[in-house]
Amino acid sequence: MRPVIFLTLAALISAALLATVSDFTREPIAAAKAEMKRKAIEQIFPFEVENMKTVTKGKSVFYEVYDSENALRGIAVEADTDKGYGGTIEILLGVSPEHRVIDYKVLSHLETPGLGDKIDKPKFRKQFHEKILEGPIWKVHKDGGFVDELTAATISSRAITDAVQNGLEQINEHYSNTAEQ
Amino acid sequence: MTEYLLIIVSAVFVNNVVFARFLGICPYLGVSKKLDTALGMGFAVTFVMTISTAITYVLYYGILVPYKIEFMQTVMYILVIASLVQLVEIVLKKVSKSLYSALGIYLPLITTNCAILGVALLAIQEKYSLLLSVLFAFFSAVGFILAIVIFAGIRERLEDADIPKPFKNVPIGLISAAILSLAFMGFSGLVK
Amino acid sequence: MKESLNILTRGLVQENPVTKMLLGLCPVLAVTTSAVNGLGMGLATTFVLLGSNMVISLTSKLIPDTVRIPSFVLIIATFVTIVDMLIKAFSPELNQSLGIFIPLIVVNCIILGRAEAFASRSGLWYSMLDAIGMGAGFTLSLLLLSSIREILGAGTIFNMPLVGEDASTILVFALPPGAFASLGAIIALMNALEKKKGAAA
Repeated sequence: MRPVIFLTLAALISAALLATVSDFTREPIAAAKAEMKRKAIEQIFPFEVENMKTVTKGKSVFYEVYDSENALRGIAVEADTDKGYGGTIEILLGVSPEHRVIDYKVLSHLETPGLGDKIDKPKFRKQFHEKILEGPIWKVHKDGGFVDELTAATISSRAITDAVQNGLEQINEHYSNTAEQ
Repeated sequence: MTEYLLIIVSAVFVNNVVFARFLGICPYLGVSKKLDTALGMGFAVTFVMTISTAITYVLYYGILVPYKIEFMQTVMYILVIASLVQLVEIVLKKVSKSLYSALGIYLPLITTNCAILGVALLAIQEKYSLLLSVLFAFFSAVGFILAIVIFAGIRERLEDADIPKPFKNVPIGLISAAILSLAFMGFSGLVK
Repeated sequence: MKESLNILTRGLVQENPVTKMLLGLCPVLAVTTSAVNGLGMGLATTFVLLGSNMVISLTSKLIPDTVRIPSFVLIIATFVTIVDMLIKAFSPELNQSLGIFIPLIVVNCIILGRAEAFASRSGLWYSMLDAIGMGAGFTLSLLLLSSIREILGAGTIFNMPLVGEDASTILVFALPPGAFASLGAIIALMNALEKKKGAAA
């Protein structure tokens, strides 16, 4: 009987201690998560991220970026595709208020190291710059589109094209285009 | 249906616990050259891995999340695993004394097999349903059995090979694992 | 004094938990893709080792013999959870790179091993030194392996680039096969050096 009492007591002490530490770290953990999101967004926009607003519309999560005069400078959206070679690829896409692509950052992927993982390299990302949803053919060269696919990583290239297109579609659906106003 | 098939193939080959996820290395290296002991260990691990994933899953979503005590996850999980291993020990002692003594110290060591805790944690991380989690756990264990059986066979051959002294035992085992891991990498893209 | 120094330093080479005692290999292979990760894991593990060694050294006489191992495990799991929360709060990047291997510290055989073999039968001071020494030895092995894998596999060290942007790196070292092979080579090297030392003595 004594061993059982001892273990139960020990477990209760452990639970109490951990509850205390959990309370103590709850806020810092939430703040750290928000900070990481913000850092990712700062990476894709070439301008200062003065203010940022997180907006959820339906299933989409948008991050509106404002400058010091509270003018909208860019919108970031989380997009994904399941057409990756190794599975799902998640990206953070940044567009201008006129819905032109500024840049994107790959948040998670399972592509082949050394081949498919080059989708995050500047050389590949650059070709999406300034593109809008209507007009260009959103496919890789092989399929008649504008995207110059990575050598030996056509599937990964196709997947990113799909993800960026997906992001733009979400933006178009929920935000009016300032260029048309 | 395809989702289940994908999980199975992925767990056994593409994301093999040992060769791709780096879990269960200690028992993998320490496993006996004797096939039946290796298999016995494999079955014990399969049993503990599958049941513990199921139990911890239920406990996580049934108690930890509703009462907002997710931070107790590690403590709770490891206590469940330790208890299960204790149970297996007692049962094995009664049912198969020979296997019990053959496994020896490796039986209680299943508690510290990072593959078991790792798979249980991964099931939650990947947000699988209970059924998928159990499937995932079972076939990850199958992948583990595959790894140790292949290795037991290799070890038998290595016995007769002329290995330089410094490489004897663990180092050559790791080099073999490197080659096997490279081979298993060829499975990626299988689930496309 | 001599005894203290011995306990503190034996974990570095002669009784290195990784290369000599072959414990805690899972994280050694999994997180050593970069030196920063290796260092982070080493420090986190040392923290847990120190905490658990201290508590176990102080309370081992109170623990009933039949529940010795579960009690040790409970104590270790508590410290692991603490370090997990601290890392999530103060170093989220490390949390992202180390992933599930942070909670997996609880099954790192080194910690349970030292608790059982040393801390449960030694005084507080020696237990602390043992923890620091073994933790340092573990961290050293992690740093060694991760430096090799980072330099050869990514061309950087502590995230500082060593080669040009488009230079080719030996990618396999950043992947599982490279991890296995590098560790095998390191252990073989340590064995060979030890043999030489033994022969020269």
